[in-house]
Amino acid sequence: MLKNYFKIALRNLWKNRTFTALNIVGLTAAFGVAFLLSMYAIFDLSYDRFHENTGSIFSVYANEQTPEGAESDEANPIPFAEALRNEVPGVEHIAKYVTGGVLITYKDKTLGMSSALTDPEFFQIFTFPVLEGDENNLIADKNSIALTRKAATIIFGEEPALGKTVTVQRGGMEVPVTVTAILKDIPETSDFNFSALFNFKSLPDAFYADNLDDWSAHNHSVYLKLADGVTPRQFERSTRTFSELHYADNISSAKRDGAQPNAEGNYRQIKLLPVEDQSFASIKNGVITVSKTLQYIVLGIAFLILFIASVNFINMSIAKSAQRLREIGMRKTLGAGKSQLFFQLWGESGLVFLIAVVLGSLLAVGLLKPFQTLFDTKASFGSILSLPILTAVFLVIGLITLVAGGYPSLLMSKLGTLQALKGKMQNTGKNRLRDVLMVLQFSITILLIAGTLVLWQQLEFLRHKDLGFNKEQVIAFPLNTKQDPDNIIQLLRNELSKSPEILGLTAADDNLGLGRDGRASATVLGFDFKNRQVSTNMLFVDYDYAKTLDIPILQGRSFDRSFPGDSLSVVINEAMVKELGEQDALNVQFYLDDSVKYSVIGVVKDYNFDALDMAIEPITYFMDGGSPMHYVYVKVVPQNLTDSYETVKEAWSRIEPSTLFMGSFLDENIDRTLTKERMMTTMISSGSLLAIVLSCIGLFAISLLVVTQRRKEIGIRKVVGASVSTITILLTKDFLKLVALSFFIATPIAWYFSSQWLQNYVYRINLTLWVFLGAGGIALVIALATIGVRTIQAAMQNPVDSLKTE
Amino acid sequence: MLLELKNIYKWVDQGGKRIFLLKDLSFKVEEGEFISIMGPSGSGKSTLLNVIGMLDDFQEGAYTFLDEQVHSMKDKNRSKLYKEYIGFVFQAYHLIDELTVYENIETPLLYKNVKSAERKALVADMLDRFNIVGKKDLFPSQLSGGQQQLVGVARALIAKPKLLLADEPTGNLNSAQSEEIMKLFKELNNEGVTIIQASHSESNAAYGSRIVKLLDGMVDNS
Repeated sequence: MLKNYFKIALRNLWKNRTFTALNIVGLTAAFGVAFLLSMYAIFDLSYDRFHENTGSIFSVYANEQTPEGAESDEANPIPFAEALRNEVPGVEHIAKYVTGGVLITYKDKTLGMSSALTDPEFFQIFTFPVLEGDENNLIADKNSIALTRKAATIIFGEEPALGKTVTVQRGGMEVPVTVTAILKDIPETSDFNFSALFNFKSLPDAFYADNLDDWSAHNHSVYLKLADGVTPRQFERSTRTFSELHYADNISSAKRDGAQPNAEGNYRQIKLLPVEDQSFASIKNGVITVSKTLQYIVLGIAFLILFIASVNFINMSIAKSAQRLREIGMRKTLGAGKSQLFFQLWGESGLVFLIAVVLGSLLAVGLLKPFQTLFDTKASFGSILSLPILTAVFLVIGLITLVAGGYPSLLMSKLGTLQALKGKMQNTGKNRLRDVLMVLQFSITILLIAGTLVLWQQLEFLRHKDLGFNKEQVIAFPLNTKQDPDNIIQLLRNELSKSPEILGLTAADDNLGLGRDGRASATVLGFDFKNRQVSTNMLFVDYDYAKTLDIPILQGRSFDRSFPGDSLSVVINEAMVKELGEQDALNVQFYLDDSVKYSVIGVVKDYNFDALDMAIEPITYFMDGGSPMHYVYVKVVPQNLTDSYETVKEAWSRIEPSTLFMGSFLDENIDRTLTKERMMTTMISSGSLLAIVLSCIGLFAISLLVVTQRRKEIGIRKVVGASVSTITILLTKDFLKLVALSFFIATPIAWYFSSQWLQNYVYRINLTLWVFLGAGGIALVIALATIGVRTIQAAMQNPVDSLKTE
Repeated sequence: MLLELKNIYKWVDQGGKRIFLLKDLSFKVEEGEFISIMGPSGSGKSTLLNVIGMLDDFQEGAYTFLDEQVHSMKDKNRSKLYKEYIGFVFQAYHLIDELTVYENIETPLLYKNVKSAERKALVADMLDRFNIVGKKDLFPSQLSGGQQQLVGVARALIAKPKLLLADEPTGNLNSAQSEEIMKLFKELNNEGVTIIQASHSESNAAYGSRIVKLLDGMVDNS
């Protein structure tokens, strides 16, 4: 029986090769892409969920009220953790944690490794299994080091590592430490990525020992595990007196500056961030916010694509079923039961899906490498190979086949025997279900196209936005050198001043955008000004900074070599003028460290030195001559940018041959900060591209079937005098109506979501109806092109041929 | 007695008017009979055969098949009864296009859950008997009309039915092919299979042991 079903299924699929091929191609593409996308999303969503205590592990931060609103403070003072454990009930375990880098020497080999320093209790909170070593005595003191298996292999090769002594560099001294534990390698899905782990006390005195009772030096993260039965909300509420006691100074200065308390009336609220949300947390408007939107969008696109492909399958199966009625009827007369017929037909759909799933997996395997590179992810099949996820995948696939294959099967197996034998189905010409499904399909397509257009516009807008400085002509590069940086800058200046294509050179301690070294930092300074706390970004610059970057000076002057007193002068931007609240900016003077007086000598126009999803903040340039410069900026002539780049690179290689030149133009740096946007655009646009292709496959198949079904009608109409164009219009009209309806459904949804998303950006495009009309237009044109060819062909046929078939 | 129809009414409502397909029809069939039902188009021949074959319902009357009350039977038992005792031959053959000759003949056995070895033997016998062994791997489209109908008859007989219903079995065939099929029917009837055929042709009807004439859904006794 099964063999018979299988045989007839294969023969049937072969007989309808066009449709089988369309279905398999569509479903394969859909499954392949859905696998990749869900892998990506699930991989991201599974970050730090492998700890046994997941659900009760939190990192501790605080929301401070400032005059500008709430601001999150992720760093805590040294006495904080112990005090919290003793004074607030509900802490089961708590550990301080800080990351860094370490130079480890074994025999004659020195290696740089990522490291973390924490309290031994760390292991009671997190699940980092110990492969070798005494679990109760892991990083008990300053002389212990715990290594991951991978790190141990790098250092010791095949030698047993446990108990060996290595030396590490600590405060300029070589300190011997003993390997007390080998840890299992940290899963890819973890925000923790240390290779070596030390006791927190191994930190330099200036960081740890000197601050044992200091509540003002905030310098590390704190993780805790809540006791069973304590909810994070409860715990956060019960920290109120704790905050009032230990942060009295902060609270009183916040009150003095006019900060408003939060909804509960607190000026400082301790908050808990679940460890599994850690990788989704970012600071938005000063406050830590967790956003998994990208992952859910990606997962959503995967499902939408599967949905579109399944709709194709359902529609084609229903449409094709008319041709199988005779077989069904015959089987019924031969004694087949309803359930037997149902399983036969469902099995056939199952077979198609099985083939598609297998081919789709192969496709996903084949595309995995480029996918990983394109989206910068380590997601692989491994990340979805867990029992619950696999079960879910099989359930979903089972459900889709049940709906996609089962529905037409049910329709047919329920049909009366005689009706079926006569090959008649109650076909009123209108197929409501098919229409609904097609409208849904096209709505999704239009939604995705509109999303792509909006994202792409926003991305282009950000890329080409005038940021207030010259990003096209300026090359920035890090001063990676063991020599004296100031000396190198001077040598570069001398070397490059000879070249006509170099227009200027300056330096600063920070880059603009994201350079090829991938480093980004910001230094924020807060000080009292006229009995008010003000805060500003600070940047140490060299001479000619504003001039080299073409940042206009609005008032006063920039730093000048002819003014020897400039080491105590600062240049500020317009936002800082506002922050200070002074009318005459050039007369402003302020004190830092209670004693050193700085005066403002100039005001520069506001420019976007920060990420593009942030408004322009206050910034203050210092030039004390002592602070090390980390980045050099060179302005070149606008012609022959590549040649100029080579000139700069050669100059660097002559002066500092031992390190690589990592320069890039500032516009490239800005582009690099838009990775997330670009990734989203790529994902959504590839998703919508696939959605378009799949919808078209479906539309094409349906139009093919409709044309066949209406062949006789077309013939008769032609015989009585219809022209090719009226017949084409007759045949396409119905489909175009559906596309138009989809447009009206999709547009408001697309509008809502894109305007929501744009709220994330301070600088954003204005949504116009044109984007959505464009999306609808694209869908319409493609739909027209898809059905047009076949329809016109049918309309042009000689009516004698079509009438003969009766 | 094999089956009996008593005062059967079957109608459809069309545009507010009731059109009778079968009207107060009573009909008795003994085992071993070979009945030819004749009558003009629309007289109800096919409907009658479908009712007897339990493919179609009727609104009023009683139908007894082998002492069982078909009209009051559940669907499941009815289909069991008919799987067991009734074979069908159609004017348009109704072979399954995707199956070979062999598989077409085999299909009823599959639905009766006959074991594989037994199936093979039964199908082989049938192919042998109808002289179509050489064609067993061909598909219906590769056969002539007469050959297709031969396969149709073979399929109807494979499950060893007591009753063979044939609706215009020779309607699509030429005279030589028709005669062949009719001779086969006669032979089968001699072996004990009860046959009811609907036919337009007098010569075909003559093969039967009894002719029933239908007119407007009623037995025409004139």
